[in-house]
Amino acid sequence: MVSRRGFLGSGAAVAVSGVIGVAGGAYAASAVGAQNLETFAAKRELSFRGNHQMGIEADLQSVTNFIAFDIKETTDRAAMLRFMSLITDDIDRLSRGKPVLADPAPELAIGAARFSAYVGFGPSLFEKLGLESQMPTGFGRLPAFKVDRLQDQYSSGDVLIHISADDPVVLAHGTRGLVRDAMPFASVRWVQSGFAHTPGIIPPGITHRNLMGQVDGTANPTLGTDDFDKVVWIEDGPAWIQGGTLLAYRRIAMQLDTWDQLGTPSKEEAVGRKLSNGAPLTGDRESDIPDLAARHPNGLSVIPEFAHIRRAAPVSQDERIFRRPFSYEAGISSAGSVDVGLLWTAYQRNLDNQFIPIQRRLDEFDLLNKWTVPIGSAEFAIAGGVSQGEVIAGALFS
Amino acid sequence: MRKFALILFTLLVLAGCSAQGEVRASDLWVKSSEMSTIGGVSAVYGTLTNNTTNDIVLIDGQTDLAGIVEVHEMAMINGELKMQQIAGGLLIPAGQSIQLEPGGNHLMLMQLTKDLLAGEEISVTFSFEGADDLVVDRILAKPAEGGDEEYHSSETKMVN
Repeated sequence: MVSRRGFLGSGAAVAVSGVIGVAGGAYAASAVGAQNLETFAAKRELSFRGNHQMGIEADLQSVTNFIAFDIKETTDRAAMLRFMSLITDDIDRLSRGKPVLADPAPELAIGAARFSAYVGFGPSLFEKLGLESQMPTGFGRLPAFKVDRLQDQYSSGDVLIHISADDPVVLAHGTRGLVRDAMPFASVRWVQSGFAHTPGIIPPGITHRNLMGQVDGTANPTLGTDDFDKVVWIEDGPAWIQGGTLLAYRRIAMQLDTWDQLGTPSKEEAVGRKLSNGAPLTGDRESDIPDLAARHPNGLSVIPEFAHIRRAAPVSQDERIFRRPFSYEAGISSAGSVDVGLLWTAYQRNLDNQFIPIQRRLDEFDLLNKWTVPIGSAEFAIAGGVSQGEVIAGALFS
Repeated sequence: MRKFALILFTLLVLAGCSAQGEVRASDLWVKSSEMSTIGGVSAVYGTLTNNTTNDIVLIDGQTDLAGIVEVHEMAMINGELKMQQIAGGLLIPAGQSIQLEPGGNHLMLMQLTKDLLAGEEISVTFSFEGADDLVVDRILAKPAEGGDEEYHSSETKMVN
C-alpha cells in the first residue's frame, strides 16, 4: 500500500504545531496562525508515485480542469509513449510544487496545493492505434440513455488529462505545462472546468454541496479502505490497467429555474434525503442507511418510489461506484438563468457491472431527471500508477 | 519483482540527473523544435553544480545525437543578441551552480545525426577542466520555444 494515506504533507503538521507552539499569547498565536495559513494550502502535497494514479482516491480539491485530446493522424504508439514520458515527468514535478522542465513561467510554481493529474484513454484511442486487444474488461462506449441530451463539444475524446488543485493559479500553471507538452501529439477536443469547496469550508471528505443545495457523494466507499479497492481499482487484465480504473464522465446540467420553484419537502422527496444535512428521510444523520421499506401511516413510502436514492441504490455490493463530482458554472443568461451543473464522475472496475445498470434504473424512472440533464458524456480507461523511472501507460504503448 | 529491480536501477540513473559526485547535473532537458531535425540544431539546459573545492570549467560535451557540441553564451553582437561559443569554456566556481537556460548559457548541439522528437531521451557527456567527465542519461526532449533565441543567426547557419 503506497502513500495514499499520507494525504497531508509535512506542511499540515508544521502549520498545526506552529499554532500550538505560541499558545502563550493570543496576539502572537493569531499572528503566527495567519502566517502559517498563508502557506498551508501551498505546502499540502498528494503523492504521485504508487500503485494508482493520483487525484482519484483523494478528497476533492477546490478547482479542476478536465481536458480531452484527440491525437494527430501522425501519432502512433511510439509517439504515445513519448507523449506519456513528457506528461509523467510533468506531473511528477507539479505534484511537488516544482516547475516543469522548460517551464517558461517557473515563478508560478508557488506550491503543490494538492495538485493532482491523471491520464486516461477513450475507446477511440484503442481503435485508432489498433489496441483493441488491450481494452480492459467492461470498458467501451456507454449506451444511449433516454435522458441524454449530449453535445459533441462536451463528449468523447482519445486522451483525458484530469488536473486538480486547491488554488486556481496553481491549476492554471499546471494545465499550461501539460497542454504544452501534449501539442506535438494531439489537439484539445474540449476543456471542462469546475470547482468544489475551498479547503476548510467543510470537514474533509468527498461529500460536498452541489449547486442544487444537496449534499452530494454520500454512500461512497471510504478512502483508504479495502472496500474502496474492491469498488474502484482493477486487479487483473492487461498489465497497463492493473492498479487503474474506469471512469464514466458526465456533464450534467441543472435546471435551477424550475428547481428553485419547489419547496423544501418536494426537493427532499425528489432525492430521498434531507437538504439540511443529507440524512435519508428515514434517518437523522448523513451516514444513516436509508430504510427503503419504511412507510408513512397512510401507506406511502417515506422514501418515494421515484426518489433518486431509491433508484440509484445498488442491487448488490458489487454494483457500487465511487463518485467524485465537481460543480461547474459556465455563465448567466441575460434573463438571469444560470448555466450550472456537475462535472460528474464515477470510478469503478467495470462499466457494464457498475455504472451502466445504475444509470439504466435512473434513466427508467427518477424524479430528479426533471432537473438534471446529461449534456456531455465520455468514458476513459485510467492506467495504473507508476514507480520511479516508469512511464504512465508505458506497457500499453511499448 | 520487476518493480523492485526498476527502482534499484533508477536510483543510479535518475532521468536528467546525475548521482552525487564532483559535478552534479539536475533538471537537464534538451530542446525539441522545428530546428531539431537531422542536420539541424538543439541545445541542452539545466543546472550543473560543482561539488569540489576547486574552480572547474565546462569546456566541451559529447552526444551521439550531434556532430558538433559547443559551450555557448548569448551575447550582444553589433546590437543584436546572438549566440556564440564561449572562449575558454564556462567557469563553475568551487561549490557553486550554473544555469544553462534558454536565452543564456547552454550546451549547443549542431549537425544533429537524427531528428530529435519531443519526449525522446538522450545521453550527454559533459567535459570539464578540473573534474572528470560527467555522463547523464535519460535527458528528456521537451517541446519548447522561447528565451528570445535567434537560431537563424549567421553562426548557426554556417554549421548547418
